[in-house]
Amino acid sequence: MLKPLRILLFINVIIALCACNWHQTKLIPITDFFKTAEKSTFRISPDGKYISYLKPYKDKQNLFIQSLADGKERMATSFLDYPVGRDYFWTYNNKIVFNQDIIALDEYKMFTVDATTLKVHKIFSQEKVRITLLNRNKEEPDMISIRINKRDPANLDIYRLNIITGELIPYLVNPGNMTDWYPDANGKIRLVTTSDGVNKTILYRPDNNTPFKPIIENNFKTYVRPIAFTGEKNYFYALSNVNRDKTALVEINAEDGKEMKVIFACDNGDLQDAEYSKNKHRIEFVSWEAAKPQKHFLDSGMKAIYNKLLTALKGNQVNIIDRDSAENKFIVFSYTDRNPGSYYLYENTTGTLAKLGDINSSLKPDELCRMEPISFKASDGMTIGGYLTLPLGEKKTSLPLVVMPHDGVFGQSSRWRYDPEVQFLANRGYAVLQVNYRGSTGYGKDFYSAGFKEVGGKIQEDITDGVKWLIRTRVADPKKIAIFGGGFGGFSALYGVSFHPELYNCAIVQHGLINFFTYIKDAPPFQKPFVKMMYEMVGDPEADANQLRAISPVFHTDKIKAPLLIFQGAKDDRANISELNQFVRELQKQNGNAMVKYFLKPNERSVFRIQSNRMQMYTEIEKFLDNNMPVNP
Amino acid sequence: MNRPKSIYRKNFSLIIIFLVLISVIFVLALIVSYNLNQKYIEDAFASKKIDVLEQTIKPYNSLFQNKIPEITSYQGFLDSASAAKYADAVFHDFPFVTKIIFYDARISNQKNSTVVRNNLGISINAMYQFVPEIGKLSGLRIWNTTDEEDFKQMAVKLSDYIAFSDTSKESPQDEIFKTFYDVKSDKISYSNILRRTDIKTYRELSKNGNPSSYYKQNMMTFFLNPYLLRIRNLHKELYQDVSIQPVVYDPLGAENDNLVTEVALPGAFADFKLYFSSTQNYLTTETNRRFMPIGALVLLIYGFLVLVGWLIYRDLNFNIKLFKLQYDFINNFTHEFKTPVSVIKIAGSNLSGDSELTEKQRKQYGRILNEEADNLNDLMNKLLSFTQLENKSIDIKKEEINVGDFVNRYKETFKIKYPDFKISCGVHGVQSFYTDPVLLGSVFQNMIENAYKYSHPNKKVLSINVTHEKRNIIFSFADKGIGIQKNELSNIFGKFYRIENQYNQNGSVGLGLAFCKELVNFMNGEITVNSKVNVGSEFIITLPYEN
Repeated sequence: MLKPLRILLFINVIIALCACNWHQTKLIPITDFFKTAEKSTFRISPDGKYISYLKPYKDKQNLFIQSLADGKERMATSFLDYPVGRDYFWTYNNKIVFNQDIIALDEYKMFTVDATTLKVHKIFSQEKVRITLLNRNKEEPDMISIRINKRDPANLDIYRLNIITGELIPYLVNPGNMTDWYPDANGKIRLVTTSDGVNKTILYRPDNNTPFKPIIENNFKTYVRPIAFTGEKNYFYALSNVNRDKTALVEINAEDGKEMKVIFACDNGDLQDAEYSKNKHRIEFVSWEAAKPQKHFLDSGMKAIYNKLLTALKGNQVNIIDRDSAENKFIVFSYTDRNPGSYYLYENTTGTLAKLGDINSSLKPDELCRMEPISFKASDGMTIGGYLTLPLGEKKTSLPLVVMPHDGVFGQSSRWRYDPEVQFLANRGYAVLQVNYRGSTGYGKDFYSAGFKEVGGKIQEDITDGVKWLIRTRVADPKKIAIFGGGFGGFSALYGVSFHPELYNCAIVQHGLINFFTYIKDAPPFQKPFVKMMYEMVGDPEADANQLRAISPVFHTDKIKAPLLIFQGAKDDRANISELNQFVRELQKQNGNAMVKYFLKPNERSVFRIQSNRMQMYTEIEKFLDNNMPVNP
Repeated sequence: MNRPKSIYRKNFSLIIIFLVLISVIFVLALIVSYNLNQKYIEDAFASKKIDVLEQTIKPYNSLFQNKIPEITSYQGFLDSASAAKYADAVFHDFPFVTKIIFYDARISNQKNSTVVRNNLGISINAMYQFVPEIGKLSGLRIWNTTDEEDFKQMAVKLSDYIAFSDTSKESPQDEIFKTFYDVKSDKISYSNILRRTDIKTYRELSKNGNPSSYYKQNMMTFFLNPYLLRIRNLHKELYQDVSIQPVVYDPLGAENDNLVTEVALPGAFADFKLYFSSTQNYLTTETNRRFMPIGALVLLIYGFLVLVGWLIYRDLNFNIKLFKLQYDFINNFTHEFKTPVSVIKIAGSNLSGDSELTEKQRKQYGRILNEEADNLNDLMNKLLSFTQLENKSIDIKKEEINVGDFVNRYKETFKIKYPDFKISCGVHGVQSFYTDPVLLGSVFQNMIENAYKYSHPNKKVLSINVTHEKRNIIFSFADKGIGIQKNELSNIFGKFYRIENQYNQNGSVGLGLAFCKELVNFMNGEITVNSKVNVGSEFIITLPYEN
């Protein structure tokens, strides 16, 4: 007689638990997650009197200028056709140089706008020309150094541009392979890098009249990135992983390319960036990612400023994104995993911090979920990192799980930041696992090269191991696991449902890679190093044809039985749409139309940009997951 | 008796017209349905060929739409080994492919290529020929690659595409088809479809690539043999013979009587057609086969109609007889009632006459009135009980009777009524009997009355015998009366039937025997008669003996 009573009690407890979870989690509308920022791309004028930013005007990003003296916002441009490009910049005479990409005509237009008069002046418009700022000089405010591919669309040359007259003076002609230029304190270019697409060579010349001579050569496994000349002899700062596993900040002698000393190195990650102050000719700090973003300060003044900012914005990650030339006023960007970010203006002399705007003010950090760094041992013993985001609520076990392998098999990794897709899924009640499988960047050279030729092999095993680890630790409900990704992540999803059908309920694929022959073909044969890299990283399409055929989903529609949701932009240059269509058709024929939902959007490239398409995509994802693995059954 | 025609109509001609009409309709229906069926078969013969074509060409479509485009998935990276593997799969799945030529081509900016345009050359690096052999595949490298028309044509189209296609948007399907496919009689050439990105890099290659670098391009030519297509005759009942024939095939002479139709094969088989033929007989058989159920149905409906007609006719006939019976009945009865009524009328008018009546006269009139009143009463009783009997509105009230007593009582009664009547009776083997005494009494009364009535005045003799036989009790009434002629025997139990003779001139309406028969039947028994003219008759009544 006790038994039914016990069962009843048990049911009651469960209902109460469910009810608890239900009440705690408020469903946030999809639009709130994927809003485009209201104000973005903040810049401060060199004299510190104005700040500028991009803000939509009739749905197109236009340039706005705010005077810090009176706080008034003024609209500087009112384009209705195409938005203002994000890479605009201030000159020393309070002008903003910006460009507009006329996509329909494949044309760039370059303008200046005066901050005081708001007069827009067109410098020039030329077909298929791309312009970026290289350097600006206080002494010659009207002259700027720019990179422009005017002479040859494939090559950027360095020109000096008079922004009043629009006159272009060639300064350094690119022989065809230069990719980066490093001006010294005087604006002279003595250090350049050339690249054949894979191998990067650093070249040096003592003065403008001597030809460049190569000093360091790297292949795709090693990495040296010059930062700036130290000012001492001909030494320059660089981030390098030559002869070490993890990238460190070093000093290199430009004369012979020899490494002079290691300034900073850390064990738990590649240094990603070094912030250099052109005023002080000093490296202020280096940053890297180890579980969460890290910084090491080399400049005490900057350390003090950051410390003040960190106390004021407790719990946030803080970055200075622009500053005036007096280094008094700073534009600060702060963010967390649960905050898309806010812009502030910080004045060092007064110590005041004023908010400029939020990227997305409709989200409340408390309603979002923590992104926790995790690590687990892969089946061959290698430690694999990643992130786990659990939904809010008391329940921490037997959760439905969405695995999100990142795109970019070599050259990317999931990072600790606000990720709208992750937060959206977690808010809907799913645990989200991001795996930085071998081959991901930031974990050192060895980890990176461990992924070579492991596409469809150990890389995929790492993802599987991550899922199995979560099942073992009882976080994931083994009956409710989905896999979701774009590009290589899309491949991983298809691979998962093909070869581990017992593990995954369903898969979501965005601009998925379905054929490795296609992927390899993206290495043009005339770029031998690129081909070599591709063959070494992924496989030789002839020697490894069987292996590549075995792992490419396009040849194995028969293995896929799980429900699929596929998104693709028709303008995706690298995708073979007719091949994908055929792939989907075959799957639909085999599994039934209801099992394979396919959305081909005519005006999208790989990642969907049009708001309505994005909304539809996430609505479909929500529906799809709810149908195949409902959170509350 | 002269009966007016209008009283009851029996129109045989109407029935005949009906029968003729439905027979005509029946025949018409058969003819029309047969013709329609024939027409349908002819139409089907002309139209169902599409099904056969669809099924026959299915493997070709599968090759064309699925297997061949798979080459694109290799993005030009097929080499002799993987191409052989691919070819093997093709030969296995598509037996009508007889040969595959595989061109391992290169796109480079070398000048000595087969086709050169805009500094971009397309040339054959290697060429292989694959043919199926039993159970395996035979591959052969062909070294002489100079005179390859198929390759040249494809290469020209390809280089045109690389040179002129619009890379700002996805190429339309027809442009893709025109460039990467070449469908000729009995062969399909295909080269892997290029993406927009590929075109862009090729153009770049033509500008700044070094001469030693090249892109790989796969091209394959599939040789097909239409005669190896397996014909799937889905409509064997329509098409006696389906064959693949050249487009121009048009036999004369022997097959002239045959019904033929044809449908062209698509794509690489455009020079051939599916040729369908059937002899007239074959189709007639099929028509008959299909007509059978329709004919049977029509026949069934016809039979049903005839049956309904016959049933109606039968009912009508029955009704006519019944009507006639009632007509006769009323006629007879009126007549019967008239006699006593007129006698009473005459007696009444004499009584009320002027002259004084003598005592004798008065008595005579009194007797006459009395008798005729009895007659009338008797008549009415009979009629009433008869009607009740016919409508089964009387109940049998069974009780036990002593047969001997019962018979003797009637014997005594009639002795008083007819002093000249000699009734003898014998009861054998029966003591008592369980029945309705009133009904049985009626039967006795009638039988005895009849025997008296139809006997010569001097020979009024009746012998009643009751015997027991098996489960029945048998009453026999044998007289020595006038007897019944053989041809009358079957009629005597009919209502209002009277044998015309001098004995029944008055007081008889011909209901007696009919009434008896009805009664006996009502009591689940039966009545029979044996008779000889001028010798006598014996009526035998058999009733179930229940104790």
